[in-house]
Amino acid sequence: MTVDTEPQEPESTAMRFEVVSSALKESTAAAARVGRLALPGRRPIDTPNFIAVTSRGTLPHVTPDNISKHLQVSGAYFSLEDFVEKSQQNLSRPPPIFSAPTSTNHPTPLYSFTGTPSHITTILAARRLPAVPSPIGNSTKSISVFTNTGFQNLSTTDYLSAASTLEPDITIPLADLTNNSPPGTSPTSKRALRMAERTDEWIADWFSSPLSTSTSTFAPVLPIPYPIQWEYLSRLAEDYIPSSQLSGLAVHDPDIIPDLATHQPSLLSLPLLSLSNPSNPHLILRHIALGTDLFALPLINAVSDAGLALNFTFPAPPSPGAPPLPLAVDLSLPSFSTSVTPLSESCTCYACKSHHKSYIHHLLQAREMLGWTLLQIHNHATMSAFFGGIQRSIKDATFEDERLSFSRAYDSEMPAGVGERPRMRGYQYKSQGGEENAGKKKNKPAWQKELAVEDDKVEVPGTDGGRELQEKGVGEVVKGSGR
Amino acid sequence: MWATARRMASTTRSASSAALTFELVGKCSTTRARASILTLPHGQVNLPIFMPVATQASLKGLTPEQLEATGCRLCLNNTYHLGLKPGQEVLDAVGGAHKFQGWNHNLLTDSGGPMLLTPEHSMSLQNSIGSDIMMQLDDVLVTTHPDKARMREAMERSVRWLDRCIAAHKYPERQNLFCIIQGGLDLEMRRECCREMVARDTPGIAIGGLSGGEAKDDFCKVVATCTEQLPELKPRYVMGIGYPEDLVVSVALGADMFDCVWPTRTARFGNAITKHGVLNMKREMYAADFGPIEEGCGCQCCRPVGQEGSLGITRAFIHHNAAKETVAAHLLTLHNVWYQLDLMRQAREAIIADQFPAFVKKFFVGLYPDGQSYPSWAVNALRGVGIELLGR
Repeated sequence: MTVDTEPQEPESTAMRFEVVSSALKESTAAAARVGRLALPGRRPIDTPNFIAVTSRGTLPHVTPDNISKHLQVSGAYFSLEDFVEKSQQNLSRPPPIFSAPTSTNHPTPLYSFTGTPSHITTILAARRLPAVPSPIGNSTKSISVFTNTGFQNLSTTDYLSAASTLEPDITIPLADLTNNSPPGTSPTSKRALRMAERTDEWIADWFSSPLSTSTSTFAPVLPIPYPIQWEYLSRLAEDYIPSSQLSGLAVHDPDIIPDLATHQPSLLSLPLLSLSNPSNPHLILRHIALGTDLFALPLINAVSDAGLALNFTFPAPPSPGAPPLPLAVDLSLPSFSTSVTPLSESCTCYACKSHHKSYIHHLLQAREMLGWTLLQIHNHATMSAFFGGIQRSIKDATFEDERLSFSRAYDSEMPAGVGERPRMRGYQYKSQGGEENAGKKKNKPAWQKELAVEDDKVEVPGTDGGRELQEKGVGEVVKGSGR
Repeated sequence: MWATARRMASTTRSASSAALTFELVGKCSTTRARASILTLPHGQVNLPIFMPVATQASLKGLTPEQLEATGCRLCLNNTYHLGLKPGQEVLDAVGGAHKFQGWNHNLLTDSGGPMLLTPEHSMSLQNSIGSDIMMQLDDVLVTTHPDKARMREAMERSVRWLDRCIAAHKYPERQNLFCIIQGGLDLEMRRECCREMVARDTPGIAIGGLSGGEAKDDFCKVVATCTEQLPELKPRYVMGIGYPEDLVVSVALGADMFDCVWPTRTARFGNAITKHGVLNMKREMYAADFGPIEEGCGCQCCRPVGQEGSLGITRAFIHHNAAKETVAAHLLTLHNVWYQLDLMRQAREAIIADQFPAFVKKFFVGLYPDGQSYPSWAVNALRGVGIELLGR
């Protein structure tokens, strides 16, 4: 429980995870729990908590000075595919990130290349979160990744060597995932079996390489039923926990946690990082109730891009019998044009202390980039406060009650947000065949504003004037990309 | 040179109007460059100054706090844009543009230009904005306009409109209205306009209609002609000027204030302004360049790792995200704004130390390391105020 006084393991520089208190007595039950994850040299992370999701090495719209000054976020998710594109002008150049020089402020190439503040725990995975579906399948020794210049293969050995060069605090080894099927569908049982077999094989290769010791390993837990991957999971528990090589689990679907508690309880002594991309706080709470410790939340970036300011607290404010509250405020709505109140009354973030709804509404209307920056600051702060409240309620043993009240107090889903999003980049999506002709373009054409679909307000609300031209500097590269 | 190089007597002199104090603290003994302190309703600013442009009440992705950290104490908003969004009603309801954008330092607004129909409308909007410096509505023609009669008409109309602006200005005790000298490239017409405008005794004076595609030689002649005639104890603002060479030469010609969207716009295109010229960070050559954007620069991105506030940003990272993630644009904007403000800070220090000619030469050698291929307009303009770039 007390991180400092425990007897030191042989590798005293290794990651440490302690369960401080749990809703149930044993720390290996599938239940909400409070813990602390500490990596040498980083700010410890009290759990349950979330980490920020980066895009091309940066938290979208937030410069590193603002991260240090205005965010409480202590961890960040990076994807290797954001750094390894082949240069079109110089095909033989290796990805520059691998040769980035380090310093005390930026102790690994991942920090120095991206300028990430050194108190942030870095977590490396192969693919962006959420990943762009790949039309090419994985092979026995590689997966298909999507870079700014197109799809390419990433072999297990290349990934291992990348991780050992970049020295992220935590690495999630490759998993054989079916990124090409539509969301919500599960793979056939034959495919699922192969996913488990390959991932199992790749993990064995990973741990047999001495290179893997430069980082803490969070093994993937696949989004397939427990009975199909039980062999893989039991190997994790029986071989790699005793050898202290396994530091945590990267869970693609937290609904498997009760099965782990039943069949492989020792795995629950590890920190559980969810990569399930929950779409609302109710799902987050449900996954916490199952024992999830850490979440990578691409939701926050998406919410900010949609012009929404998160507006919920945990515990929820008492409001017996009142209709459910919206989870977020849609600042694109004209009703905020003269509202000089903060985004959320109780919030103490920089955006709420220094600005008001009226200004952020204006920034969104004018498509000024600062709008998204301020929303990112507010939304990350709101999420930090949400998790802080959850930690307290678990300690006070009121979590289940509060979770129920929360589910009654708030709408079940996030509002969609009527505002126009920032321009999509080539590395963020892959256009599907026919989409362009079906009027489903990701970005509005800059030169033909008058032709913009008038009735489809969600995707392309009307905007005016010549600013779009100014903004094209930032939004120039919008062509399909990557083929 | 030796004959004229004498230390300036420490005769700080100042002049005040209702909402502004102008204090001259140094003069170059060779050129017409001046260093001064301008005190406005939202605090003091040091001149010469570059003013970045927050067109729509936001400096392109920077928070007001970040803008403040670059040292900026006076930036622009565009009246026309604010009139459209958020609109005058919102500005009135919120209590002006300072409150609206969370900027507690000074603001300058342009007149709104020909899109605003009347001087009265322009004043009304700028009064709602509450800018510390307002600009009169003027009739702008491109300086290269061939029709002399039309040019004269525009100049005279601008003078008449100034009178209407002065009459319509509701808050002279808390907002300063600057006049704008017009007259195209016709130096005699400019002189005449100067006389008319100066007679109206506005707290500050702008030289307008330039940066519209005229030859740089002509631009310099107009600035020099006007500054020669303007009262010493008033700030002189050359509108729309932003290239570093233009700033340095204009300071030498006796101008104090400048604004331009170019530094922030070019940042969004991936370009970094440096003492050795503009570098396009999107070029392949920067992909694995782990140096700062500009060696020796003091901005947050570039200052050496370990110094307070240093972000340790490399060219490689900017290259990686230029035209992709907005963060790269924000970082380059921070750098470029810092560069422009710092250039003027250095000019100011040099003027006060009476080392301005040496500063100018060093600046031009930075851009043209061979010490030869200087643009002739700059050589000529500087020669006119006693600096010889070529030779020695």
